[in-house]
This record gives sequence, structure tokens and C-alpha cells, in this order.
Amino acid sequence: MSNEEMFKQLSDAIVSCKKDAVLAAVEKARDEGIPPAEIIEKGLAAGMNEVGVLFERGKLFLPHVMMAAGAMEAGVALLEEDMPKDAASKKLGIIVNGTVEGDVHDIGKSIVSTMLQSAGFEVHDIGRDVPLQDFIDKVKETNADMVGLSALMTTTLQGQKDVIEMLKEQGMRDGVKVMVGGAPATEAWANKIGADCYAENASEAVTKAKELLL
Amino acid sequence: MATEYKLRMGDGKRLFMTKEQIVADLKEGMADAADLGDIPDLSEDEIDKLVEIITMPSRMVGVEQGMEVPVTHDIGTIRIDGDQGNSGVGIPASRLVGAMMHERAFGADTMELGHIDYSYKPAKPVIAQEMQTMEVCQQNMIVPLLYGAMPNMGLYYTPDGPFENPGDLMKAFKIDEARESMEHSAKHLTRDIVWIMQRMMASGSDGVNFDTIGAAGDGDMYASLHAIESLRKQFPDIYIEAGMAGELLLGMHGELEYDGTVLAGLWPHQQAALVAKAGANVFGPVVNTNTSKSSAWNLGRAVTFIKQAVKDSTIPCHVNMGMGVGGIPMLETPTVDAVSRASKAMVEIAGVDGI
Repeated sequence: MSNEEMFKQLSDAIVSCKKDAVLAAVEKARDEGIPPAEIIEKGLAAGMNEVGVLFERGKLFLPHVMMAAGAMEAGVALLEEDMPKDAASKKLGIIVNGTVEGDVHDIGKSIVSTMLQSAGFEVHDIGRDVPLQDFIDKVKETNADMVGLSALMTTTLQGQKDVIEMLKEQGMRDGVKVMVGGAPATEAWANKIGADCYAENASEAVTKAKELLL
Repeated sequence: MATEYKLRMGDGKRLFMTKEQIVADLKEGMADAADLGDIPDLSEDEIDKLVEIITMPSRMVGVEQGMEVPVTHDIGTIRIDGDQGNSGVGIPASRLVGAMMHERAFGADTMELGHIDYSYKPAKPVIAQEMQTMEVCQQNMIVPLLYGAMPNMGLYYTPDGPFENPGDLMKAFKIDEARESMEHSAKHLTRDIVWIMQRMMASGSDGVNFDTIGAAGDGDMYASLHAIESLRKQFPDIYIEAGMAGELLLGMHGELEYDGTVLAGLWPHQQAALVAKAGANVFGPVVNTNTSKSSAWNLGRAVTFIKQAVKDSTIPCHVNMGMGVGGIPMLETPTVDAVSRASKAMVEIAGVDGI
């Protein structure tokens, strides 16, 4: 089997969301002498990208994304002994994500957290109706690279702006990217309040986080 | 220099486009819907008609004579006095006054009584007040008055409800537990909707409006369809309006089925059949507005989806038109130029039975 065929098999195994299939494909790729980094990058990660596309098109759903992410994690764990120390567990970046104070909407923000986590980011989801100071505290505590601010009501959008101002006041703004989202948020709003990006949906959140942090 | 027409972005910002640019955006939006929903494109005549509607010089447009359709209002009773970020205008008025204003001054063909919290679950502890208000409204009104609220299954998850939050469970890779939590929540939601509507029907309600079905994903839809089915059996003459939350039914569970069909991933034209099968009288399809695209793109997309939903539905379709849906920009008070154009297009091209 050529390397390309092997990568396709690894990718298909991830898309099937079945851990057993992923582990079998990883074992086979390892036996064929493919370097672990390539197995991950060209096989497993490519499969996760495909899962993201299928999620966006409404063909796969959150549980499937999680199962695929779990299977990928198991596959990477299998390769850990062959890899340089820390390489396997390296995260793409640290993101604090939450819904701002006064807003109890949870589901969209949770989907974004899950998708970011599945894509390889270390995500600290601090929940909904989160006091604005908690975003600042959590960014400090985790040394986060990005903060995600969700608001689903026109009355709570202001919280996104306030967090950005608080980051500036505390001299933290330059070191932290800010992503905003939620039904009433728009690109124009993001520009107006000085956020680094606006994401229309969970898939776009992953794409933009990668653009900003990688 | 080519003539430019005034349009809007999906976020409401003013935009100027040439006819060629409008056609290109209409076709791109249409192609997106056709691709995602695996449905046919609009015809060239329909694209021409859309261009004509978009480029009409009047600030506000209307349907051709003889093509008028019924308009149904959700949450209208509290739109007058509501002033908590819920698109109300903050004029002190009772719910009765709000309903009567819609009936007698604004031309609503049916109305809805809704509680300020606007979900079924919080209506339970105030059911006596809701029953009393329904009775008083019915004694003063002529148009059909429904009781309406959002199924909002999220209220059954922690911290608002008894079942562990599937979002938290999912993030911890506890997928089976998350699914169980959704299944339990769905049973409770069905039970609560039926319980509330038994009492509202006893108070003279003409029917029920399910507003934003599927907001919490496929479990929300599952619970709502079972509630519709149960209410139809108990009240053969009840008028049931089933309005959706979004264009795509999100698979939070992923494997729930109704009548042998997996609910996750259904688009409007596929949702219609299940809503009818469950026993609803009217289906309220939704197409979401993309705030980063022009109103031409959004309208081309929305009309393509809704036209197919109307075609496939065996019951009347009353399309959701408002803030951020139906090709209308995401503005708390959507502008009349965009609302009237999108509405005209839905009636004259998509063929909706009502709005």
C-alpha cells in the first residue's frame, strides 16, 4: 500500500468515528514505517478536517465530532512512544471561551468549545452568564492565547466590548486575541469594538482561530 | 457608470450594487442552498423576478393584488409592552391590549398569547394566570388566538433543570450519558407541553404555536413532534402551528428518529413531512441570514430553500420572516425595505401560504 493510500485509510477511519478502526489503521501505518508525525498530520488530522467539513454541511454532528476526536486522541496516544517528548501532547493554543454576563445562552458557545477542542486547542469553557472579570482572571490563570466571547442578545453584546476594554486597561490586550460570536454579533460589530475576529458558526470559529494563532 | 441599487448586507449595513452584481449574488446564494439541501436551482424567470423585486425604486414594496397571504404573529401580545431586549417597544399595555391591537389595528390574521419568559417550562408555575388571561382574551377577540412558547429543551439541563448538561458531558467525551440526558429531557418537555396545552385548551385556546422548534437540537424536535402527536390525538380540532428555530436541524444527539427518519441534519423541505405526519396544521420553515453576505445572496438562498419546502409540504407553509431569518438582515427592528422585499419574494416566488 502506498503512503497516500495509507493516509486515506487513516483519514477514512477518523471520518467513520470508530476508535477501533483508527487504532487498527495507526498500527498498520506504523508497521509500514511511516513516521508518526506524518501519520498524525497527513492521516488523522486530515480526517479531522474532513469531519469538520461534514459537520458544516450537516452530515455529521456533535457526538460524531467528539467520537472522531476521541478516536484521534487514542491514535495519537498509540504513537506517543515513537515521538519526541511533548510532541504528541502539544496543543495548538489555549482559548478561554464563555457567554458574557447577563446572557444565559449556552448551546452555541458549547458547540464552539467542542469544535475548538476537537481541532486541537486547549479550551477552557467558563460557562454562560459569566461575570466579565472572570474572563480576565481565567486568561491570566491559563495564560490563554485567545478569548472567545459569546452573546446571544442585543442587550448583552456590550459585554464583549467591555471585556476588550478591560483587557486594554490591564495591559493584556496585545497578548490575547479576541473572537466574538452569537446571533446578534456581526463582522461590523467586531470591527467596531476592536475584536480580532468574528465567527459566523462553529466551523468558522475553528478556521479563524487557526488563522490567528498558528 | 453602471446604475447602482440600494441593498443591505445581512447585518443591515447599506450596500450599493449593480444589476450584474445582484444577479451574481442571487445565483451564488441559490447555489449554496441547492448544494446543501440537494434541491433544484431557481429558474431564470425566478431569478429575473427576484432582481425586479430587489431593484424596485420604492422604499417599501407589496405583493401583487390577489396574492395577499395570512400573517400570523408570535409573541405579539408582549411586543407592545416588552422592553427587555426582546424587540418590544416598551409601551405600557396589558397582553389583552397587545393582542387586540394586533387584531384590530395591525391586521394580524391569527394571534398568539405568550408569557414574558416565552418557554413552555416557565409557564407551568403561572398556569392559572395564563388560563385566566387566555379566557379574557378569547372573550374580547375574534381572530384565532393560540397559546405559544418555545419548546426550549435547554431549560431541562443543569443549571436550569434536573438533567446533566449534555454540553458538559460531551466535552468530557461522555457521549452516551449526554444522549441519555437529552432523551430524559425530551420526555419531560413533551409531558410539560401537553400538560400546559390541556389547560390552555380548557380555557378556550384555539390552538398552539410551537415557536423555534429545534433550538436545542434534534432532541427538541423529537419532543415537539411527540407533543404535537399527543395533542392531535387528544384534541382533534386543535390548530397546531409548528415553527422552526433554524434551517438545519442540529444533531446534538445525532441518532434520534421520528417515524423512521433520523432528525439530525434535516433541511426545511425534509422537516415539513415530519411536522405534517405528527399532526400539525401549519409548518413554519426558517432560513437563517448570513450577516457577512448581501441581502441578494441571502434572499436567493432563502427563496430556494423555502420554495422546495412549500413544494414538499402537505400542509400550508407560513415562513418565518423577521430579524435574521428569511433573507432579512439581522437587525432588532429590521428595515422595511428589506422586510417588504423579502416577504414579496417569499409570496410571489417561493409560493408560501402565509407569513
